[in-house]
Amino acid sequence: MTATAWWGAIAGVGLAIIVGAYLVAVADRAIASVVAGEPMRSSILAGPARSVALGLVQSRTTTERPDGAAWALAPALYLGLAAAALAVVPLSETLLAADIENGLVLFGAAQALAVIPVFLNGWSPNSILPLIGAFRFIAQALSYEMPNLLALLSVSVPASSLSIHDIVASQHGLWNVVRLPLGLPLFLFAAASLAFWGPMNLPDGADLAGGTQAETSGLHLVAWRAGRAAMLVAAAAMGAAAFLGGWLGPGLPGWAWMVVKTLVLLVLLVGSRHVAARVRAERYVVISWAVLIPLALLNVMIAAVVAL
Amino acid sequence: MIETPLAVDVAFWFFGVASVVTAWLVFRTDSMVRASFYLLASFVNVGVVLLLMRAEYLSLILILMMAGEMAIMAVFMVMFMMNPAGLNPMNMVHQHRASVAGGVATFVALGAVGVFARFPDRPARPTGVTFALGQELLGESMLVFESAGAALLATMIAAIALASSRGRYGQADDGSDAPAFDPDRPFGDAPPRPVASKHEEQAGKEGADDMHDMRNMDHERMA
Repeated sequence: MTATAWWGAIAGVGLAIIVGAYLVAVADRAIASVVAGEPMRSSILAGPARSVALGLVQSRTTTERPDGAAWALAPALYLGLAAAALAVVPLSETLLAADIENGLVLFGAAQALAVIPVFLNGWSPNSILPLIGAFRFIAQALSYEMPNLLALLSVSVPASSLSIHDIVASQHGLWNVVRLPLGLPLFLFAAASLAFWGPMNLPDGADLAGGTQAETSGLHLVAWRAGRAAMLVAAAAMGAAAFLGGWLGPGLPGWAWMVVKTLVLLVLLVGSRHVAARVRAERYVVISWAVLIPLALLNVMIAAVVAL
Repeated sequence: MIETPLAVDVAFWFFGVASVVTAWLVFRTDSMVRASFYLLASFVNVGVVLLLMRAEYLSLILILMMAGEMAIMAVFMVMFMMNPAGLNPMNMVHQHRASVAGGVATFVALGAVGVFARFPDRPARPTGVTFALGQELLGESMLVFESAGAALLATMIAAIALASSRGRYGQADDGSDAPAFDPDRPFGDAPPRPVASKHEEQAGKEGADDMHDMRNMDHERMA
């Protein structure tokens, strides 16, 4: 890779994160209006920018004896992991930021590491409600990691490869969403859980007065929310590549198909916040272990049969 | 010698030193949570060094596994040490003599491997390393081992499900309900109590149910 290609890849991923996170915020407001039956206001488009501007001028509150370094690290690490996860997803057959042989494993590793910043953001302020949120998220993470990794693993079996490029190419003719019907719902469940979004928002819920973000404010809060949105974007892009055939499709150029498919999954994920109630922590854990992990194992077996 | 670009050398030394420093910090910090996450940082740095050696799969799988494991370790240590937040300062070192002896012996043994082993002097192949690694580890038995692995995983999950479905407090999600205040009944087996009507019905009763009554009144006041 030349230096220009390096900088191009970094700029591309950064741009995708910023635009994607903004789109998440806009879609969130738009879907809220639709669900509430309100007319779409023009403020929907500018609203997120206004929130960011407010966060930038707001003074940061602090707590008694926080772990300042870990607290500051949390949103940066979360955003960075979202960017690393997004970097391995190909936009088209030739356009790919990080062309590595084990892209799927890198995506899984970035998602697994994302548990750490969420825990740190709740643990570091030395405050009770964020701490409860942090421990809740560990319970949640232990429950969704297994279905998530098994769902990701299943798409690599028919492709005989861990490279996302090969996984998309293997869906020529039949997309994984048809071939492995259980995979996409399991993956989306884990994606919403990972960004603790909507019905899966156990650590940051209103019942904990904001949970892990209860004590965050100002720029920190902006970065934290951007990180969650970026994580949703990365998951939607990966879902589009791994299950919806990525750049494959008639008529339009490859990148356009990829963008359309990512947006569809993104609207699905963002919209879940406005149509489904939050799951209770106990029920979430029972559903994950007793229903979703067996289904994920079944999905891997289906993948093995498909590959044979 | 293998010729490497300067950037790779710089990165190697940076992440190598970082892995040693974070490993040292594990024992210098005063919090179990910080100690676990310093250990994780050390492993991630080792993972990056593996990446520089073109062991892409090993590097990523190391980071993937350690991320989950350190999170679990932090939580379990906090639970077992009765230090609710893991925020109370505590000493991370104990059994000094045995630890020093063990540390020196391990360092000498690993250092000897580093100094005396004969390493191949040709660079790794640019592609197909993951496939070659699989061939090297399991060869033709890959399918057997993978099937056994999936079967073991299913067994473990089934064992956890069997062990946890009926705990001391009944179903897993019953544990969050408040235990009954009636001493004649075991915890968790109390029938569901309607909150509003119960108040009048229990007004004449004495003893343990008074607590419950007060709680109900609280609920009503809040509503």
